[in-house]
Amino acid sequence: MDYQQAQATAKAYGETVVPSVCAMCGPGGPGGGCGIYAFVKNGRFTRVAGMDECPVNRGAICAKGHAAPQWVYSKDRLSHPLRRIGKKGEGRFEKISWDEAITYIAEVLIEQKKKYGPESLAILVPAKRSYSDYLQRFLTVHGSPNYGHSGICVMQRAFAFMYTVGDWPKPDYDKSDLIIYWGRQPIYSGPVARPARAFLAAKQRGAKIVAIKPSMEPDAGLADIWLPVRPGTDAALALAMLHVVIREDLIDHVFVTQWCEGFEELQQHVRRFTPQWAESICGVTSDQIEMLARLYANTPKATIDVGNGLEHAPSSSDAIRAVASLIAITGHLDRPGSNLFSSPPEKAPKPVALKERYTQELVDKLVGPEFPPMFQPFMEGPSSAYYRIIESVLSEKPYPVRGLIAPGTQPSVSTRGTKNVFAALEKLDFFVTADVTRTAEMAYADVVIPVTTPYESNHPFHAVPGWLMATNRVVEPLGPYKSTIEFFFDLAVAMGYGEDFWGGDIGIAMDDLLEPLAVDMEQLRQKPHGLQFKPGPPHYEQYEEVFSRLSPAIGHLPFLPHGKVALYNTLFEEAGFSALPQWKEPPESLTGTVDLIKEYPLILSDYHTSKSFSASWQRNVPRLREIEPEPQLHIHPDTALARGIIQGDWVKVLSPHGWIKVRAELYPGIRPDTVMVLHGWWQGCAELGYEDYPIVDGGANVNVMYSVDADKAYDPLVTAMSSQTLVQVTKWEDRQ
Amino acid sequence: MSISAKEYLIVFEAEKCLQCHACETSCSSWRELSPGIRFRRVLNIWNGQYPRIKNFSLSLSCLHCVEPACAAVCPVEAITKRKQDGLVLVDQDLCIGCGACGQACEFNVPQMVETGEGEKMKKCDLCFSRRDFHDIPPCIDTCPGKALQLREVSQSEKRQVEQTIQGVLLLAKAF
Repeated sequence: MDYQQAQATAKAYGETVVPSVCAMCGPGGPGGGCGIYAFVKNGRFTRVAGMDECPVNRGAICAKGHAAPQWVYSKDRLSHPLRRIGKKGEGRFEKISWDEAITYIAEVLIEQKKKYGPESLAILVPAKRSYSDYLQRFLTVHGSPNYGHSGICVMQRAFAFMYTVGDWPKPDYDKSDLIIYWGRQPIYSGPVARPARAFLAAKQRGAKIVAIKPSMEPDAGLADIWLPVRPGTDAALALAMLHVVIREDLIDHVFVTQWCEGFEELQQHVRRFTPQWAESICGVTSDQIEMLARLYANTPKATIDVGNGLEHAPSSSDAIRAVASLIAITGHLDRPGSNLFSSPPEKAPKPVALKERYTQELVDKLVGPEFPPMFQPFMEGPSSAYYRIIESVLSEKPYPVRGLIAPGTQPSVSTRGTKNVFAALEKLDFFVTADVTRTAEMAYADVVIPVTTPYESNHPFHAVPGWLMATNRVVEPLGPYKSTIEFFFDLAVAMGYGEDFWGGDIGIAMDDLLEPLAVDMEQLRQKPHGLQFKPGPPHYEQYEEVFSRLSPAIGHLPFLPHGKVALYNTLFEEAGFSALPQWKEPPESLTGTVDLIKEYPLILSDYHTSKSFSASWQRNVPRLREIEPEPQLHIHPDTALARGIIQGDWVKVLSPHGWIKVRAELYPGIRPDTVMVLHGWWQGCAELGYEDYPIVDGGANVNVMYSVDADKAYDPLVTAMSSQTLVQVTKWEDRQ
Repeated sequence: MSISAKEYLIVFEAEKCLQCHACETSCSSWRELSPGIRFRRVLNIWNGQYPRIKNFSLSLSCLHCVEPACAAVCPVEAITKRKQDGLVLVDQDLCIGCGACGQACEFNVPQMVETGEGEKMKKCDLCFSRRDFHDIPPCIDTCPGKALQLREVSQSEKRQVEQTIQGVLLLAKAF
């Protein structure tokens, strides 16, 4: 509805309406974050409608958005700041005040800084949030580079694309005749956002849609062609597609000659990656591979949308580099209907990050670099990989992190190696968790900080392409606590960093950051649906400009030292990595670890997103839990039948590293050699009678299942810890 | 059983549906439904066999059938089809909560809801009772694909839809 309708509806219900931004999923960063009208009756948040005026969602709101009031009023809300008094894991706490918590945390961190150096503090970072940049700023001011990005999302694609073609070129959905969704979930990762609506629009105008993924979700069901690829094998498929287009000379010669470096080397290199070879690895038939390569190369207005499915394997950067090369040599770079470069907007808020303070000295202190040090800092500043930070506590190499803050993230379920996570938390000197509802490992925290949901906050502003909006407070905070941003502001002041945090005044901070846009928060709040900006006219073939872009690494070397697409990457070669994309096996696979097949005959992987939940939270929201009540293993009916498993049976899924117990969902639309489950299952839902599941073996936490072997589970260039393994699935017998 | 002059339907178009369940949840939220009670539900339907398999979605609520099976079996005539607009409505005062309607309905639409006065049948009423929601039911308003539209249809069109959906539900049962 629009603002007028929202006001009329509120009046009819005897309520008030507060325009704001939805907070129920990950894409709270660029491109996401939907406009909502929130309704309030007698100070209580009742329901939500989508904001027609918002260019992101145009009046639509997904299931998660509608469930917001239940999250806000969840019985699982953390109610008071807590300080641990019992042993770690006991869960015994005393209530303290917000100020006491700040004072105590500041004391400990100042002490640790003196004793061990500022790098001994790391922050485990959630999926992009409205407060992510403030976490980095805090660390920079403190003197630590250990911003713990997941290592398995978004930045991995950005890195591989940028060092190949100077930019991460995005699909021109609206003009494409052919869209290839590759390891991508355009619906669940924002069901009402632009890419999802563009998916439907493309279908409606008759564009051809191809989905490459192991299992059929609604996007693949609506596609014209589904290529059921084995999890973690996308690099093999991409290399074979390169083989085909080069072999059959389906390339843009002019572009290759003028704008590509290393074509001859690539041509020679991909000779061995035949479609037949690729079929044996990735499970897509050689006919299909040839068909897709030809279709893509021969369709001028064709685009590839690369998703998170390519960011969880040792060959992640290889796959993405291969796709980037494919886009480039077939003449699909920055042309209508293909993959388009983006430029930073003319006017933008001031950056929150303190980029001018990134030094070689700071980068050298990274405890577990997410990308190799010579390529740091990358787009979000210096970053250590989330799991490597955990590992450093145990290995003490290169040094142990001593203080860990985890805002809005649950390490025991959101990263791999759950058993190691608990061992690290047991050993760790100081652990602070800051969240809205109870977390999976809070019993190990020294301090638990409850925070407001964005529905209880009036900051920050929300700036995405085309839309600037104030976060407006829907209801007052439910308890004696503040927002995550306020936590870091207060902590900064307590630690003597107030000068770098606007004296601790969020209002001043917001106005300062907005200054380039010639509007302050007060003025912005006067706009019930924010400010909409029309995108400028598209520019195409911006090769000169983009290929000379400088990287954010220390020294600001260009992404592309030759000013051309790095088909052959001399930068990577100099750094000791492969100059050309390679094929690397996951730690366990049907082709890489053949000796395991007898005991573990099936591939296991997991879903990153779902229609019902975000990440490892929201299982406790009744309206969402009703959609997907229990953890399901998607298993092909034949695969189930062979094991005497029927629909709804509880099953044990066992890998070389751990096991989970989940319900079998007979799923005709999945590779018979593959089973998949959604990640992030642990929390129960009291209102519906569901208890918590165990977090280590025997629960439904898929992250216990994968290898964390330093030599096998990582992409050496971009982290991308593997989410594939081999498993056996058996019907659960109570005797077990 | 009187035949109404008009038929209304929230028409569903599968090719516009992303299976996001927003219609289901917005209804549950805006109509303040208790856990387990759904006036609208979204189903995933398989068609074919791997690898030549497809799936599609169905968003289903009360069709306000031309000849409602629920009304035919109700022992106390609590369910009527309104003449002026064909809406099938349940008189909450007359309903005795016997559940016969639920047994009779091919589409599993009737919901038995605990109220202050025992169990009563409730279901989608095309938001007839909530017209103050700027006249557009939340399920229709919230859909990103505009897959749901409130339309006036002819009797034969309505019967056609009833048949089609029965077929789809049989397909769903087959898996």
